[in-house]
Amino acid sequence: MPATQGAVATACYTRRVAETDSELLDRLRGGDALALETLMARYSDRVYRLAYSVTRNEADAEEVMQDVFLTVFRKHDTFEGRSALGSWIYRVTMNAALNRRRGKRTELETALDALLPTFKADGHREGDGDWVLADWSRTPERELLSEESRVAVNRAIDNLPEHYRSVLVLRDVDGLTNEQVAEIMGGSIALVKSRLHRARMALREQLTRHYLGMPA
Amino acid sequence: MTCQEAIAVLDDYLEVILGPDALASLEEHLRDCPPCVAYLNTYRRTREVAAGVNRVAMPEEMKERLRRFLIERLRASAP
Repeated sequence: MPATQGAVATACYTRRVAETDSELLDRLRGGDALALETLMARYSDRVYRLAYSVTRNEADAEEVMQDVFLTVFRKHDTFEGRSALGSWIYRVTMNAALNRRRGKRTELETALDALLPTFKADGHREGDGDWVLADWSRTPERELLSEESRVAVNRAIDNLPEHYRSVLVLRDVDGLTNEQVAEIMGGSIALVKSRLHRARMALREQLTRHYLGMPA
Repeated sequence: MTCQEAIAVLDDYLEVILGPDALASLEEHLRDCPPCVAYLNTYRRTREVAAGVNRVAMPEEMKERLRRFLIERLRASAP
């Protein structure tokens, strides 16, 4: 690549990186479709993770992505700027994904209570010594995330109700705060915290069964 | 503090937002309760394993399809 061309490419790249969401929205308002592409590059992986966490299906998640970015393009004027653009896009995604899932849901999600640890009247956990002392935390990463384990983890995640899966993705993968998740999902911070803790506990029970070689 | 009470506050413990009294009670409980230590270790690891499996990116070919889809729609809606 000639030096000048490289410099232009670098300048374009720098502009894309440095441009704020608000500047991109201004370009969108001015009819610049390339701004949408920049927004896509910035948000598509995060939006996809959230869409997939609700739908658990690639084809449905793809249709959600189409809905979301069309909404961003067509309704960006309705974005009032009181919250971050990212939060608005997450909210649009959550609504689109829930709508799609409601239309197609065929399986029955396991009630979360059935997946949580159980306790005796004195507050000790129920189960024999092997169960309550099971500690697979030092298992090497390659075994914890082997193909077989990934299947088991995904099955365990599938068993969680959709709102619990979404909280898990937004908090533990994307690193959002409880406050941000509450704003996106609509609900109190206490509800986000409760769902996150219950989701992790339910997963822990199922992963422990898997790593101990017990039936799911 | 019972095991049930200890497990109920593990998320706050890992977020380092437990108040001093609750923190002291939990740490005292953990000193004498191997099952709760095992629970804490695996709870913490569950968070990492679930994050590792959920850290999916949008497939590249899907991104390309989305880009084409949007360009077509935008062209169709242009005045």
